[in-house]
Amino acid sequence: MSDTGSRRRTWLAGGGAVLAAALLATGCGSDSTSKSGSGGDANAKITLTVNLFSDFGYKDLYAQYHKLHPNITIKENRADLGAHHQNLHAHLVAGSGTADIEAIEIGQVAGFQSQASKFVNFLDEGVDKNQWVPSKTAPASSRDGSSLFGLGTDMGGMALCYRADLFKKAGLPTDRAAVSSLVANWDSYFATGKQFLAKSPDKKVKWFDAGSNVFSAMTAQAPQAFYDADGKVIADSNPAVKQAFDAVAGAIKDGESAGIAAFTPAWDTGFRKSQFATVTCPAWMSYEFKANPPADGGKWDIATIPGGGGNWGGSYLTVPKQGKHTKAAVELAKWLTAPAQEAWLFKNKGFFPSDQALWSSPDIANLTDPMFSGAPTGKIFSESAKNLKPQPLGPHGADIGNIYGNALVSVEQGKAGTDKAWSNANAEIKNIGE
Amino acid sequence: MTTLPLVKRPRRRSGRDRQLSAGKGVYVALAVVVALSVFPLYWTLVAASRDNASLSQVPPALLPGSHLFTNLRRAFDQADMQLALVNSLIVAGTVTVCVVLTSTLAGFAFAKLRFPGRGPLLGSVVATMMVPTQLGIIPLYIMMANWLHWANHLQALIVPAAANAFGVFFMRQYLVTAIPDELLDAGRMDGCTTRGLYWHIALPAARPAMAVLGMLTFMASWNDFYWPKVVMTQQNPTVQLSLSELASGYIQDYSLVLTGALVSSLPIIAVFLLMGRHILDGIMQGAMKG
Amino acid sequence: MAVSTGTPPAASRSNVPRGPEPGAAPVRGNRWHRAERRLSPYAYISPFFIVFGVFGLFPLLYTAYVSLTAWRADTDGSQHDFVGLDNYRTLLHDQFFWNALRNTLGIGLLSTVPQLLLALGLAHLLNYRLRGRTFIRMGVLLPNVTSVAAVTIIFVQLFGRDFGLINWFLGLFGVPHTDWQAGTWSSWIGISTIVTWRWTGYNALIYLAAMQAVPFELYEAAAIDGASRWRQFRSITIPVLRPTILFTVITSTIGALQMFGEPLLFSASQTPMAGGSQHQFQTMALYSYDQFWGKFKYGYGAAISWAMFLVIVVIVAVNFLLARRMKGVEAA
Repeated sequence: MSDTGSRRRTWLAGGGAVLAAALLATGCGSDSTSKSGSGGDANAKITLTVNLFSDFGYKDLYAQYHKLHPNITIKENRADLGAHHQNLHAHLVAGSGTADIEAIEIGQVAGFQSQASKFVNFLDEGVDKNQWVPSKTAPASSRDGSSLFGLGTDMGGMALCYRADLFKKAGLPTDRAAVSSLVANWDSYFATGKQFLAKSPDKKVKWFDAGSNVFSAMTAQAPQAFYDADGKVIADSNPAVKQAFDAVAGAIKDGESAGIAAFTPAWDTGFRKSQFATVTCPAWMSYEFKANPPADGGKWDIATIPGGGGNWGGSYLTVPKQGKHTKAAVELAKWLTAPAQEAWLFKNKGFFPSDQALWSSPDIANLTDPMFSGAPTGKIFSESAKNLKPQPLGPHGADIGNIYGNALVSVEQGKAGTDKAWSNANAEIKNIGE
Repeated sequence: MTTLPLVKRPRRRSGRDRQLSAGKGVYVALAVVVALSVFPLYWTLVAASRDNASLSQVPPALLPGSHLFTNLRRAFDQADMQLALVNSLIVAGTVTVCVVLTSTLAGFAFAKLRFPGRGPLLGSVVATMMVPTQLGIIPLYIMMANWLHWANHLQALIVPAAANAFGVFFMRQYLVTAIPDELLDAGRMDGCTTRGLYWHIALPAARPAMAVLGMLTFMASWNDFYWPKVVMTQQNPTVQLSLSELASGYIQDYSLVLTGALVSSLPIIAVFLLMGRHILDGIMQGAMKG
Repeated sequence: MAVSTGTPPAASRSNVPRGPEPGAAPVRGNRWHRAERRLSPYAYISPFFIVFGVFGLFPLLYTAYVSLTAWRADTDGSQHDFVGLDNYRTLLHDQFFWNALRNTLGIGLLSTVPQLLLALGLAHLLNYRLRGRTFIRMGVLLPNVTSVAAVTIIFVQLFGRDFGLINWFLGLFGVPHTDWQAGTWSSWIGISTIVTWRWTGYNALIYLAAMQAVPFELYEAAAIDGASRWRQFRSITIPVLRPTILFTVITSTIGALQMFGEPLLFSASQTPMAGGSQHQFQTMALYSYDQFWGKFKYGYGAAISWAMFLVIVVIVAVNFLLARRMKGVEAA
């Protein structure tokens, strides 16, 4: 998730999960602890631990792997997004406490670049970088590119999900191709929103769920968003960011936003109660649609994202050097991110593969999803992924996206005008410092 | 015996219940308070016995459904609840015993013994309560992980919690008024050592407060999340950690989370039911002591 | 009482004027006995101080050191970059810190005062002779037991803007829907409600334990003198409870100034650490946590924590002094 914060529900996660912190630790300088386990008996019985920040859909794959390697048992642990990455930071600095495999989210990965030397370099382990597009590998590489410390899992190719039945009631086209061309860019998307609001018989239905989500999608498409290629924060001076902010704030003023905080229970209710007609949806969000079908029997369909392309979310698997079984962990991480497993995950769990060869494989490209009225999700997400322009990321990219998102919430709440919200957000970004 | 006539005559006969008896208004007020207090727990039960979809309906469901056992099975399937329950019982139980002991000892000393430095030392106890919890967590972890090698072991949760300023201050404030000085003087007269005074006078007098402190400590330890999250892992979880594991999905399965919440609350309520008698007895003794 | 004057006798408050008592002397007076008396207080308080010294004091000092560095996780080699009091100077001009301080004080007052008054009243009710009192007492403490996860989900539902029960209820009286999280006052009231709900029963139980220690004869005597219930409550119950009240005032003040969980739970947003879209309910603890764990500014986060500690010390000291003075006035 390149931009707005928590792709998963950081806020709740067991109520207190957010209360949980993690901890960092000092440099008590135990980095040089001798690591065993890399060599030794290849058939010794071992347990590999895998720390994730949500369900990656791996359960069946573990069983399969255990069959292939009966001596290896896999134990997965999950925490919420925030706590997971805080813990990883802490345990890296402390020199102990990480699992054999640790997942990292794309919005967080740049923050680990300076610690690349604490992870196994997959380039030394026979991994071919070209399995992924450069925009996927670059953030998980050391700054000089000599080390690749993360293997790409899924990615968030984007689309626009819309309620065909509500479109029909408002006199808009319902056909995918027609909708895609109707909202080909963001201006026409917002203009169509106005039209929808004017004609929709049910005035409680808004055009989109939350300004912050639309803003995420828009900034994800820009060649540069919050950081430039030198790693300098350019958020407040980047016209692309300002334009997106103003456009979304304008749409909010026009009443297009339902103003519901994304990834909260109120958002779930919004899906059920049909409070909005469109959602900018990355592939991994399909879970949300499945879990919260509209109570009025309406159906979602899926069209191309305005502006085309863009990525929101996706993750990596890493192997910290401090682990006990780095060799075995590397093998497992490679296997989990291999094309066959990635294809399986898309077909069965909805996680769109970051493996670029799969985007053209008929297996993936021809996949349709009955939940979205039989839409060719494979094709839509593949094309979105192919259109993706690589964007420089920085350690606080997720924070900055969150700050703008939060500022847009204050506009939605009627507590700040566009300009005040913008300047407040920039003051806060300055406060992050460098 | 009906309570009504007694309301008009507040003066009581002697005997065990030397309290004013309650009228209807008191019961109504308390019923409202109890209802408000119990509701979330009740609603947890409702949620744990339904499927996820029926939870976000409006207005919310208010009666239990039929999915309780399905949800329980899922919860135990997905997180290591058995181990977590045992761990939490060990930790909360040990911590409670330790805190009650150390607090009564120190509370008694601060309340009833005179010694040079008492004032400043008591002041420093109160001061330690003001330390924000986050402040110490980082270095504490370093100690546990790199020096003591206790990370992911239960003693990392028990030892630092074995005494706390709240408990000491609580006991001190209670014992200041609960033990008449004359009683201690009489004890001294009879040749009691300080230890004797502690055993024969302070401890019995402290029983009601010990029961309350014990319960509060047990609950706090049981519900603690912040520190366990840092120092333990899911391989050796406490109940609250398992709960957070249930809650970390792409989408929130509330019925599952609340089933976990219910499972995690049951032992506390059991302890409650057990200790409740003792608290009551203790409090009554306190009242008779006069 | 033949006790060496070097160490004041234990429990000596009331025995100062007393003369030697026949019959008691032979037992006391030996050396071992005196040493036991002199040293045992220290032995009794030592477990607490040992645990605190090892697991409390060291971390505290270490954090103080960190607060003097420019350490941040996103900057290589910043860990030992000693900057003196720079972080504290920055803090003085940090609008977000002052905002957090104001929010903390506001929410603290709104939650502590009603909560303690309610607890006192509740304890008074619980002190009646009641049928099913075990049940009632436990019931009152349940909010403190109920798991945080459940509490989170329930309160977020209650305070929902579109479908929340509270707005629905107010709507019956024609009150338009409130976006509880959006406004400063509405969010403060919402959070104070959660705090009050969670802690009133807890404090009531503490008061109750102390009330049980009031000799019933005092009330009887007062009743004979024709004192009303309210008068009895004021002039018998309250004075006896004073140490306990002081205790709860201080612990709740400290709790309020460190308030963290409730605003976090109340937030119902993707960025709970922000404490609202304009930080209208971001407390000091949330802000320090956000800077420390969220933005990985370890040095600055540690400085905020220490500043917070100092603020708490000052406010608690003021509390103490006020309580002393009130005591003096009333006792007179």
